[in-house]
Amino acid sequence: MKVTILNPLVLLVLPALIWSCTSPREAETTSGSSAISESHPMGQASVVDNVSDANILQVAVSSEPHSTLVAAVQAAQIEHILVNAGPLTVFAPVNGAFDALPEGTVENLLKPENKSDLATILTRHAAPGSYDIEALQREAKKGRKLYMATGDYLEVVVEGDKVTVGGATIVATVPASNGIIHVIEKVILP
Amino acid sequence: MKNAGILMILGSAMLVGLFFFPMWNIRLGAPQYPEPLGIDIHVNGLRGESEFDIQNIDGLNHYIGMKTLPKPEDMWEFSVFPKVVAAMALIGIVIGLLGVFQKISPIWFLVWFVLMSILGALGIYDFNLWLVSYGTDLDPNAILKLVNPDGTPMQYNPPLIGHKKLLNFDAFSYPRAGGIMLGVGMLLTLAAYYFGQKSRFTIK
Amino acid sequence: MKTKIFIINTLFLCSLAMLMSCGQSGDSGSSGALGSSIAEKVYVAPGERDEQYAFLSGGYSGNLTVYGLPSGRLFKEIPVFSQFPTSGYGYSEETKPMLNTSFGFIPWDDLHHPDISQTNGELDGRWIFANGNNTPRIARISLTTFETEEIIEVPNSAGNHSSSFITENTEYVVAGTRFSVPVPQKDMPIKDYKANFKGALTFITVDQQHGHMDIKFQLMMPGFNYDLSHPGRGKSHGWFFFSTYNTEEANTLLEVNASQNDKDFIAAVNWKKIEQYVNNGGGTKMAAKYAHNVYDESTHMATSTIKEEVLTVNPADVPGAIYFLPTPKSPHGCDVDPNGEYIIGAGKLSANITVHSFDKMLSAIEGQKFDGDAYGIPILNYDDVLAGSVQSGGLGPLHTEFDGRGNAYTTFFISSEVVKWKLGTWEVVDRKPTYYSVGHLMIPGGNSRKPHGKYLVAMNKITKDRYLPTGPEMEHSAQIYDISGEKMELLYDFPTHGEPHYAAGCNAELLVNNSKKIYRLDENKHPYGITRPSEARVERKGKEVHIYMSTIRSHFTPDNIEGVKVGDKVYFHITNHEQDFDVPHGFSMIGQATSEILIMPGQTKTSLWEPKRVGVWPFYCTDFCSALHQEMQGYVRVSPANSNIELSWSLDE
Repeated sequence: MKVTILNPLVLLVLPALIWSCTSPREAETTSGSSAISESHPMGQASVVDNVSDANILQVAVSSEPHSTLVAAVQAAQIEHILVNAGPLTVFAPVNGAFDALPEGTVENLLKPENKSDLATILTRHAAPGSYDIEALQREAKKGRKLYMATGDYLEVVVEGDKVTVGGATIVATVPASNGIIHVIEKVILP
Repeated sequence: MKNAGILMILGSAMLVGLFFFPMWNIRLGAPQYPEPLGIDIHVNGLRGESEFDIQNIDGLNHYIGMKTLPKPEDMWEFSVFPKVVAAMALIGIVIGLLGVFQKISPIWFLVWFVLMSILGALGIYDFNLWLVSYGTDLDPNAILKLVNPDGTPMQYNPPLIGHKKLLNFDAFSYPRAGGIMLGVGMLLTLAAYYFGQKSRFTIK
Repeated sequence: MKTKIFIINTLFLCSLAMLMSCGQSGDSGSSGALGSSIAEKVYVAPGERDEQYAFLSGGYSGNLTVYGLPSGRLFKEIPVFSQFPTSGYGYSEETKPMLNTSFGFIPWDDLHHPDISQTNGELDGRWIFANGNNTPRIARISLTTFETEEIIEVPNSAGNHSSSFITENTEYVVAGTRFSVPVPQKDMPIKDYKANFKGALTFITVDQQHGHMDIKFQLMMPGFNYDLSHPGRGKSHGWFFFSTYNTEEANTLLEVNASQNDKDFIAAVNWKKIEQYVNNGGGTKMAAKYAHNVYDESTHMATSTIKEEVLTVNPADVPGAIYFLPTPKSPHGCDVDPNGEYIIGAGKLSANITVHSFDKMLSAIEGQKFDGDAYGIPILNYDDVLAGSVQSGGLGPLHTEFDGRGNAYTTFFISSEVVKWKLGTWEVVDRKPTYYSVGHLMIPGGNSRKPHGKYLVAMNKITKDRYLPTGPEMEHSAQIYDISGEKMELLYDFPTHGEPHYAAGCNAELLVNNSKKIYRLDENKHPYGITRPSEARVERKGKEVHIYMSTIRSHFTPDNIEGVKVGDKVYFHITNHEQDFDVPHGFSMIGQATSEILIMPGQTKTSLWEPKRVGVWPFYCTDFCSALHQEMQGYVRVSPANSNIELSWSLDE
């Protein structure tokens, strides 16, 4: 008699037992893999290195007029792209360029849900390859457009000493270990 | 009696297995030999369990000054034993046939069994003598000369049957198919004697 | 009564369940428990063996490395294109011919893309092929001895990069040139590159019994850069696909000038059609010098033959055999899915992955819908052949492999990640970072009809701070991911040797039972080998002294040699008489201008010594072979050049 009562009981309790065993373990696994990535949350950008020449990200971080750009790069979580072997040519809008955007645009883009839009806008400011001013002038002379990392092509225009890319004028150029930064005073929008 | 004779034939015929299967096997395993080295002892000679085992055992044994393992021509046993085995098998079969046709008393089965037991015991005694001489008659110029804690020279003979630790080697010595067939065959002849006697008394 | 029992039992079981579940959660609550659950996935306990083999190219090491998965343990470095003092490869007299080329002896190459032989599109574990990128060569490595057995030079090629990929029954191993060059080579201005240089795609037959390679034909393509290639499989068997860049045909500052065209091409080559054309007498023979080096396992010797002629095919002569599929932005990877339908082009400057459809390609060809031609080769319409495009969100896609469950995995160099996506729907399923800047990836069997898709190895180009620092130069890093679930899981990180550009892998059971333990002494056909110590001797032929020597634990036979003179060339031909697994003997001689040699059981190797000074010089066994290894030594007496001491030799006399 005892036995017949026991069997359905076991059936009832077993799933509970299994459930109580597995559910915390699953939770653990997720937190665990993130533990691995936590050690290098920004990928290669987490590498501590005070000896090498500054890379594009480090140059930008140390430049006060680019604090909005840096905040945007961090919000978009694309730091590791700017420390990559490259070479990359980055057109870096100053804070004023972001301020000139319609009211609320930047705040809106910095929201987590707009991360990928922000990443696309920022990536449009980077060209694979190393283009210093002379190279840009050569491109313009050959009538070539500049291929950006998003797949867009930007027109390079030379007027005297002035070089504009996608409508933004280059006001300064800073070499970095993994590419070149051209400072611009306008955000390049499609 | 007819059945007892057939048992006798079967039992003595199983000796023939010695010509096809090894009688005994000695295996040496060690950490550096995850696949142990093995020697199969056949009635007519020694063979490596894997192709190069004999060569590799000899290679190891030269460190402790053991003689190389005997080739068939090095030991009289390997030429005499096959003849003895063949003769005993033949005799057993003949006795069995005579038993089937009720020409002889089952006592002959027992005679055969006793004779075979004596020969077997002699064979095992001889095998043990060889093991001891092989394991103890060492080259005085051996590379490694090891002594027991009491100062006597260490002996390396593998066990007659069972397991023994020799330095870092585990030596295992056990009968193989041929030897097992021999044993089973002999038991069958003993059974033949028993049933033969029984049937005689019941018929009477 | 009944009820009472019921209640008691319920209480008991519930408390038991609580007890157990508490213990469980308490256990996994600590951070160590989780770490250990990942650790267990890569932990191969002492004495246990790995599930899979991984063969990683060594890049500029010139060699191939063999690792275990999931442990990441290094088992062997197989010398292929580089001299290897560890074993004497390229130093011993027997193996020097392996590194012979039409340029003479070359001690090094840049090994890029290993590929395991296949039957019916599945890995068969007979051989692994690999390409030398610098001085174009293809090597075949035995997967029973794990030694290089054959190397064939590829003429008219330069930067042998879209190589050494095999067709699905190992009919051909294919070698495409990255750098186009004048064919035949000639003195001409570099600026006249355009339209004058040629890109050779070489189809090399593989003998199914011995694996011997022979150049069947070279397809002389326009002067683009042919970057990577892969065979069609299943329904697309008979085709081969090559990615191209520099369709601009620039000859300087390629980083800018070869990145101008919005789309380059994937070249689709119907090799069966060309094979038929060649078998019917088509093609043009041209003079071309190239070396063919074959190692014979029974003589333990390599021979090098210089060949003088190659058959070339002009694409224009075989209409309908070659088409160009426009593919955006300098595609690098050119990978074919396990079903043979999708051809994946990874435009390395692009954010997206382009996928072409084989079926669409066939119907576009049938419909004669072309978008012009390049040097007479029809260009198909991009939109007509496009199956889809993966909006990856990553940057710099390079290489794609497959798990056999409908998923593809692509590496992204610039955004440093592996992206998992679905074939057919093109949706991104998962992405995981790599550390750092991943080049290629490998799923065992991922380049076949039947991937063994449990692990994925990402091979990175940049190491930085991943390991304890070792100065400016470091080994590259690799990561192992578990891909058996919906999401990839990073398991392990390990350093790799040289620069792995590509890799091949397979389940362990495909190889373990075929791996050789010893060479049989009774099958040793080396002309200077001896099968018994009694045959040991020393012979003089003018200035050459040949020593026929044997080794067994723990001595050389002979170990005392006299009568050698300054100025002699002394050849030690050493046969290892052991027939016991993993008992090699080594040999080296003081002042010898070469590496040691390591001789496997049953093998014969030859080491050359040219004594420069009078004296009594020792040699010894370089491999700790036995308890008396330190005693395994010998002497050679070297007398003045004009001495009249007779040759003599002995052991224990």
